[in-house]
Amino acid sequence: MKLILDQVVARRGRWSFMAQGGFGSGIHLVTGDVGSGKSTLALIMARLFPPEQGAVRSEQILTVMLSAQFPEFYLTGLTVAEECVSWGLDADQILRAAGLCISTSTPPLCLSRGELKRLHLACILARQYDLLLLDEPFSSLDCSEKERLCTEISRRQDGITILFTHEQATFPHIDHIWEIADNCLVDCGVLPGALERWQHAPALVKKLVRAGRVPENLTSDNIREAACRTRG
Amino acid sequence: MQDPRIMLASAALLSLAAFVSIWGAFFALLWWLVFTPRLRTLQNKPAVPLMVLLLAAVAALTSLTGSNGLSYFFRMVVILLIGTWVYTVRKEGDFLAVSVWLLGRRAGFEIGMTAEMGLQMADALFEDSIRMRTALKIKEQVWGIRNVLPAGYLLVHDAIQRANNTADLLAVRGYRHGGTLCPVFHPLRWDAVGGICAAIILLTAVASEFFILYQ
Repeated sequence: MKLILDQVVARRGRWSFMAQGGFGSGIHLVTGDVGSGKSTLALIMARLFPPEQGAVRSEQILTVMLSAQFPEFYLTGLTVAEECVSWGLDADQILRAAGLCISTSTPPLCLSRGELKRLHLACILARQYDLLLLDEPFSSLDCSEKERLCTEISRRQDGITILFTHEQATFPHIDHIWEIADNCLVDCGVLPGALERWQHAPALVKKLVRAGRVPENLTSDNIREAACRTRG
Repeated sequence: MQDPRIMLASAALLSLAAFVSIWGAFFALLWWLVFTPRLRTLQNKPAVPLMVLLLAAVAALTSLTGSNGLSYFFRMVVILLIGTWVYTVRKEGDFLAVSVWLLGRRAGFEIGMTAEMGLQMADALFEDSIRMRTALKIKEQVWGIRNVLPAGYLLVHDAIQRANNTADLLAVRGYRHGGTLCPVFHPLRWDAVGGICAAIILLTAVASEFFILYQ
């Protein structure tokens, strides 16, 4: 299973960027500054935005799902129950998975942004997809929900999962890091080696790498282990 | 057309001319062919064919009741073309600038600001509808009658929410009424020609209608 970006060039007005690379099974992290093109890249990978040049090729990818940053854009139901049904899912089951104590007849627009995001992510993560694209999945979530989401994402065994985020504190277990710098998608490689090449790394990770205590991965346990590691 | 004052005045005069008589509509259509980018103003405007269909339905009903539905349809389509042209070529701040120039810093500013907000809302609704279609595509649903009610509700809800947010923002920034703006315009000779032609078309339309009634 592989997603290949073959000399992809995207353009929006005067802004443009170039992407080249192959995404295999596992969890990929794509980072970059706000406005660097993460969301556009996600749309291109989901084939919802045609690239100006190049092509997106997929091998053995049959099902694709994109979770966009703003959950309200995905609403098509007038109640929580209708919204869950529009995803082909059972409302009670989804509300339990999302940890939401609300009635299924509640209009989704009456939920707070955080609750709506939880509902949306629960619908997305309830199914298995060959290619799962999560654009800023941590936005609008509090720390405990971020951790819960990381556990959910880390549990995904099959398929390709790609996270597009500028999150700096909470991460699931990551296999491969990419970043968008100078309007280009840069392959930083697999972990833990990628951490030494990652320009957008969180300050703590950079500090640990400089001190020679490279974390095995980016989960909070890995960071804590590296920070507490003693030489010798 | 570079001067928004002449653009808006021409649009108002031509719409009136098209509304008044069939000849006014005919000459307004000629004006549209000469002074605007023509079909380029209709590109990426999925609402235009829908509006034409709606007008055709109303025209058909008008014909069934014994009135001249064809004349109504032609005149309304010309008004739609003029309106679409203004919507396409206008730039952000045009309405505010013209309104302040015409009516001053208090009433003019408020009317202009309201018009600008309305246009922003129209743009946002268009963007929302595109996102909603993307959502349906992702959910493997087909855009149809079943989706109209929730889609309409969500669009209206978002529009009201945005209006509330804007009102809150204005209140937080201490807005009470009016405002200062020094609009600058750069009219071209071609703009003036277009404006004069639009005025002549309206006069011709009114005069022709007057003589028809007099006879």
